Amino acid sequence: MKARSRKDVRRDQIVGVMVFLIIWEVSARLLDNSLILPPISAILAALWELIITGQLIVALSQSILLLIAGLIVATTIGFVLGALIARSRTAYWMLNPYLSALFVTPTIALVPLVLVWFGFGFPGRVTVVVLAAVVPILFSVASGLRDSPGDLIDVARSFGVKGEIALLFKVRIRAALPVLLAGLRLAAGRGVVGMAVAETYLRLGGIGGLIKSYGAMFQTDYVFASILPLSLLGIGIVSLIGRAERRLHWT
Amino acid sequence: MKDTVLDIPAIELKGIRKTFTLSEDRDAKTVLALDGVDLKIRQGEFLTIIGPSGCGKTTLLRIIASLILPDEGEVIVEGEPVREPGIKRAMVFQTFGLFPWKSVIDNVIFPLMVRKFDAAEAREIAMKHIRQVGLDKFVDAYPHQLSGGMQQRVGLARALSTGADILLMDEPFGAIDAQTRELMQEELMKICQQEQKTVVFITHDLDEAVLLADRVLLMSRGPGRVREVIDVDLPRPRFDYDVRGHETFVKVRAHLWHELRNDLVEQRAEETS
Repeated sequence: MKARSRKDVRRDQIVGVMVFLIIWEVSARLLDNSLILPPISAILAALWELIITGQLIVALSQSILLLIAGLIVATTIGFVLGALIARSRTAYWMLNPYLSALFVTPTIALVPLVLVWFGFGFPGRVTVVVLAAVVPILFSVASGLRDSPGDLIDVARSFGVKGEIALLFKVRIRAALPVLLAGLRLAAGRGVVGMAVAETYLRLGGIGGLIKSYGAMFQTDYVFASILPLSLLGIGIVSLIGRAERRLHWT
Repeated sequence: MKDTVLDIPAIELKGIRKTFTLSEDRDAKTVLALDGVDLKIRQGEFLTIIGPSGCGKTTLLRIIASLILPDEGEVIVEGEPVREPGIKRAMVFQTFGLFPWKSVIDNVIFPLMVRKFDAAEAREIAMKHIRQVGLDKFVDAYPHQLSGGMQQRVGLARALSTGADILLMDEPFGAIDAQTRELMQEELMKICQQEQKTVVFITHDLDEAVLLADRVLLMSRGPGRVREVIDVDLPRPRFDYDVRGHETFVKVRAHLWHELRNDLVEQRAEETS
């Protein structure tokens, strides 16, 4: 295949979206059942309604707050445990089974436990996001800090950097940053899933709450109008981290 | 005049011993890497260290840099016993040791920033040494954009920017192609002569060892000891005549090779028996 210019890619994407929307609109009109497949025009109208009533802004800000709080907690826990695992083989072998189990267990399966332990308020919802997001961060910290950055530690020490803490911040973390950001990108994607789960299965709220409540009322056009911003939020946050990754990578 | 400054050696090593524990899981083995090294390095002297691989050359240099501590013995720098890295010694690394996320200027300025120099002053000092190694066009380039030779120039500029009188160089030109290496040897000799640096230079290249040195230290194969220290009495500057054809050069080189060869042959015999 020939290499594609940016312009070609953009053109393909626009054509793809147009074709997709036309097929959707035509099928919706032919099917004529807005419960199963509402026409695009109805979805856009619903979206506009959500925007001007302010529902979307409120929901979106709740969701973003939850996501960010969850990712901050997950990053903190991931850093401490990841650094521990990087330093100690014993810790690695002791913790690894649980972490692997947590990684493959669907977050939704843990919701009942979170509910009893942390309740359905903000702490409970943050916990769900943390459970979804913590493992990739933890493993990326562990692998990033385990691969010692060549003789750069010697370089830093020989030029006067003293103490493990200073070396950690000046050399080890900086050298591991591309790996850490890759982990964070993965975690953000999983965090969005955890966020939607928390908002639908604990107390309703945010974008997840909108989807669930319009779903319960069988207003499919509003369901689609709420899913769209959720996807955009996920794509936005992941590509933001991806951009930071490319900037900080040195090759 | 008893106590002139020049009477104090730049570096003095007293009875340096070092063992390493190779912890291959349970059966830990200890290996004696250096067995009682005594040495005085004069101020302004260019000392090259050569020896078979595994003789502890790099270990010795890391001990002089205080990156590791000896089990026994003392490192004395300009009259003061030292136990941690200090501003009087600057190191140049075999694999260049540049921070890949820092530009040339930020790499060179690093030691000064660690020591809390004023930013403008540090930049000026760093720029001076970047110019000195001929990289003024690459101030903002990143290491991966530079050739090996250029990267090591950055490493050299960084060591010079510290203002240290003593340069510790661990096979600095080992990873550089042969022609660039010759050029860099010349430039290093020029800089060291101008600035009166004391240099400890590790190499596995016989020609390089003789070409650069005021004295060559020959180490014996493990456990590392000083086997012989040989004066290289060749006029400087050494790059404006055929130094490799000079009688002294040929004689010293032949002698070193003879000694090294014996060691290598013995080693080979032990390995195959």
